[in-house]
Amino acid sequence: MSVVAPTAPDLAALLDEVWSSLVGAPDELALGGPPPDCSTLWSATVTITGEWRAMVSLDLGDPVVLAVTRAMLGFAEDEVPDVASCTDAIGELANIVGGNVKSLMPGPSVLSLPVVFHGPVQVPSELAASTDLHLSWYGAPLRVRVLTPSS
Amino acid sequence: MHALIIDDSRAMRSILRRIVAGLGWETTEAGDGQAALDHLEAGLLPDLCLIDWNMPVMDGYTFVTRVRADPRWRAITLMMVTTESEHGQIVRALAAGAHEYVIKPFTADAILDKLALLGLRDQEVSA
Repeated sequence: MSVVAPTAPDLAALLDEVWSSLVGAPDELALGGPPPDCSTLWSATVTITGEWRAMVSLDLGDPVVLAVTRAMLGFAEDEVPDVASCTDAIGELANIVGGNVKSLMPGPSVLSLPVVFHGPVQVPSELAASTDLHLSWYGAPLRVRVLTPSS
Repeated sequence: MHALIIDDSRAMRSILRRIVAGLGWETTEAGDGQAALDHLEAGLLPDLCLIDWNMPVMDGYTFVTRVRADPRWRAITLMMVTTESEHGQIVRALAAGAHEYVIKPFTADAILDKLALLGLRDQEVSA
């Protein structure tokens, strides 16, 4: 039987590694939690095409976006990052998560540049979530999905 | 020492800048391979280029092939820093002339260890 997508434990381990390497405080990245509030939602996606096809989507609430951006760009705790900085930081986060998801699956395949939305991502109708991970960081929600062709 | 950091993400350039600046290095940044080549054509001769693979305008692999094709830039050490982790991609980059390959996400220590391997930083000696 072929593997459709990384398992939730594999994806959680990958997120832990990304967080501890680039963002910090891996112990605070906890499994579970409510979905991010749509009114303060950011989404970042990358697509993978080739031997294996998927979209990797990150949904993050404002508190997570601001904290990730501060950590990655070296901003002070009381500094409020601008929209361009937030877009850049979570786009790179999606790039890294997507690239590592790609490495878990059969190749060769190609990773797109990241696309960032201030709001929920419109998932193409032919895709469905094969892995759907709800996490929280310092109490703020974060969702990571691997969406693959449903047929 | 001088590092040219080539990545379309300002966040990633910032992370890499802080790592090499911690060694006392000067840095220059470029958002894609073409912008990096423009720096070299203008006379910048860095000791090291840290190079992302997937970038708009010119990707990191093309940048490596262009640098390696020009004898003026033979002394520059090239290190890929990328999410591309398929074996075939790594082999391609090294065959094109990259000296080292680091897969994102990385720790500062991973970059520093690679610099030591490349002779760009003193090796720590274990007691």
